[in-house]
Amino acid sequence: MMDIINYLFETFSSNMMDIPLIAPIVDYLMKIPVINVLVALILWKPFFAVIIMPGLGVLVLYLLYVVWYERKLTARIQWRVGPLEVARPIRGAIQALADGIRYFFQEAIVHREAHRPYYVQLPILAFIPVLLPIMFIPAGSAVGIYTPYSIQLIVTFIALIPITIVAIGWAANSRFAYIGSVREAFMYFAYEVPFIIAVISMIFLYGSGDAYVAVEKQSAIPGALLNPIAFIVYIIAMLMATSRLPFEIPEADQEIAFGPFVEYSGILFGLVMVLAYEKLYIMTLLFTILFLGGWSGLYCPLLGDLNGPLWMFIKTIVVISILVIVRSIYARYRLDQALRIGWTSMLALSIAALVVGGALGVWLS
Amino acid sequence: MDEFIEFVRGGPLGPIKKWGTKWSLWPVHLVTACCGAELAHAFAAGYDGERIGALNYGIARQTNLIIVEGAITRKMARVLRITWEQMPDPKFVIVMGACGLQGGIFWNGYHLVKPSDVVPVDFFIPGCPPTPEALLRGIRQLQFKIETGEAKTSATFPEISLEAGRKPRVLPRPPKKISKAPAVIVNAPKEVDWEFGQKLVEELKAKIEAKSVTITGKNRIAVKVESDSITKTAIRLKEMGFDHIKNVNVIDVPNEDKFIVEYHFSSYSVKELMPVIVNVFADIPRDNPKVKSLANMFPSADYMEREMYDFFGVIFEGNPWMGRKFLLAPDAPEFPLRKDFKLEEEVYVR
Repeated sequence: MMDIINYLFETFSSNMMDIPLIAPIVDYLMKIPVINVLVALILWKPFFAVIIMPGLGVLVLYLLYVVWYERKLTARIQWRVGPLEVARPIRGAIQALADGIRYFFQEAIVHREAHRPYYVQLPILAFIPVLLPIMFIPAGSAVGIYTPYSIQLIVTFIALIPITIVAIGWAANSRFAYIGSVREAFMYFAYEVPFIIAVISMIFLYGSGDAYVAVEKQSAIPGALLNPIAFIVYIIAMLMATSRLPFEIPEADQEIAFGPFVEYSGILFGLVMVLAYEKLYIMTLLFTILFLGGWSGLYCPLLGDLNGPLWMFIKTIVVISILVIVRSIYARYRLDQALRIGWTSMLALSIAALVVGGALGVWLS
Repeated sequence: MDEFIEFVRGGPLGPIKKWGTKWSLWPVHLVTACCGAELAHAFAAGYDGERIGALNYGIARQTNLIIVEGAITRKMARVLRITWEQMPDPKFVIVMGACGLQGGIFWNGYHLVKPSDVVPVDFFIPGCPPTPEALLRGIRQLQFKIETGEAKTSATFPEISLEAGRKPRVLPRPPKKISKAPAVIVNAPKEVDWEFGQKLVEELKAKIEAKSVTITGKNRIAVKVESDSITKTAIRLKEMGFDHIKNVNVIDVPNEDKFIVEYHFSSYSVKELMPVIVNVFADIPRDNPKVKSLANMFPSADYMEREMYDFFGVIFEGNPWMGRKFLLAPDAPEFPLRKDFKLEEEVYVR
């Protein structure tokens, strides 16, 4: 028993985050017998990257932030105040928490026409392709599983998400859910091809699917300036993929009442509602790595190894906060218009990006 | 309704449940009337209901509050009940406006249902329509109810005993007898300068066995016929170029023990006849109200005949819809526009 604990402790402590700011506390805690294993586990680099930053821990914080921020920003643009009275000193920042608690304690209705097992388990199954990419996203020296094909793997998991959403619509077995699933499938074909070509052009440019190589190559000029066409295509594809407003076609709440999610209630709706936000988070992490220089930034010696994840998180939040503005100032495209954009201008742009990326990649190497 | 409040407040997790539900009352709004405009106002820039955590949602499944705006008719009662049952527990109901409270301007109507008979109501907001402030105050009151567990009215009035004040006025009494109504005259003649009309009257007199043909105004002619010769008259008018029926009407004249059935003929195809409306009317007995239908000849008469059956119980023989409710709800009382239709007794509260 002690051997196993010792072995675990040595494994964890050999690869720990080195943060000078909290070093005295860590040193003190490492002397206490049982707690030192826990501290070592938390600061173990793979665990830290996946569970704390930029993984699940900050993902929850981000969800609370982005829902509130979106409502507040929309309200300000419409000359309103937005959520306020729930917590006046912090401008109602915990509104999303109140909504989440209300969802959690509400009845979750499973209607008679639904395919009961799928209907209940698909919202949870949908988290697998959404959360698995976090294993492969590196942030500085902290990485869950290192592989030289991390970018390809992340793109693969992102491509799996719409399948679960279509399955949700099928299991709900209602007419709005059906229309929403068909729209989701259409949109999937509209954005996926330009999106993948844009990512491939960046892989050509960096000569590798390894995130570390990509960030290293951007040390002088960020990828957004190296290949601006791929940058534009990626942003538009990201808006399409996460149902942001100009392309909020699958879950248009004014016409088809949240599409695939129309029949969900209670905690199940809380789960499916955050799917798009989590997808946005993952895609923005990839966006940061590909175009904005990933975790590189001003090095603060006090933070040590925390610099990488922190810079990555800050860049991601800034990008998302800018993208959220789009929701409150644009009207919605029709399905056929979105499909036309996907299959004509975006496809052409992505192929141009592929040419630019390939040429630059050959020249740089 | 109180079981929901008990659920929200009860248990070891009560404080958390209470807090979450209180600050996240998402209303689904069931608009039947003008109160919907006030609700839009309450959630727009000026008053901004989102401040107190209420977010308007169009979908019943994801909400926990229903705001009923306006009068609920017998047909809408079903919709209200279905919407309420679609919502997940715990759920609350706020009824807005005087119509939902006691009927408002539709008070004592044959078609009206009180929302409190259909769903358990938490709060009423009086007013016609209530102001946005009143609506937001209703939502605040519901929040207080969730927090403290007791429903309180937000308005308080001083109590005055009836004896202490001035003597109660003598209230008007219901009328003991109904005086004889004057005869209903459909074909009151009128002198107008209308040459074509004179010609038309001559032509009609020659072709139709009418009791009387009168000019009742410019471009208006009234033709009185026997009730069994309406079909014959319609055929003649069709030959003359009158190709559609604009209106079917029934007048109840209980003191003469008769219904007057009117058909208004006009034309779309002959240019001179376009402005002309010929009113063909006949008296039918009140105890056996039967008349031949014109729906086969003039399809536009079909719906209006059904409607007249709904309201007056006049049977148009040959129309296949007779004996069924058309526009009224299936459980509506029979023939509500007859003058001897009994409404609820007016009650004065002293």
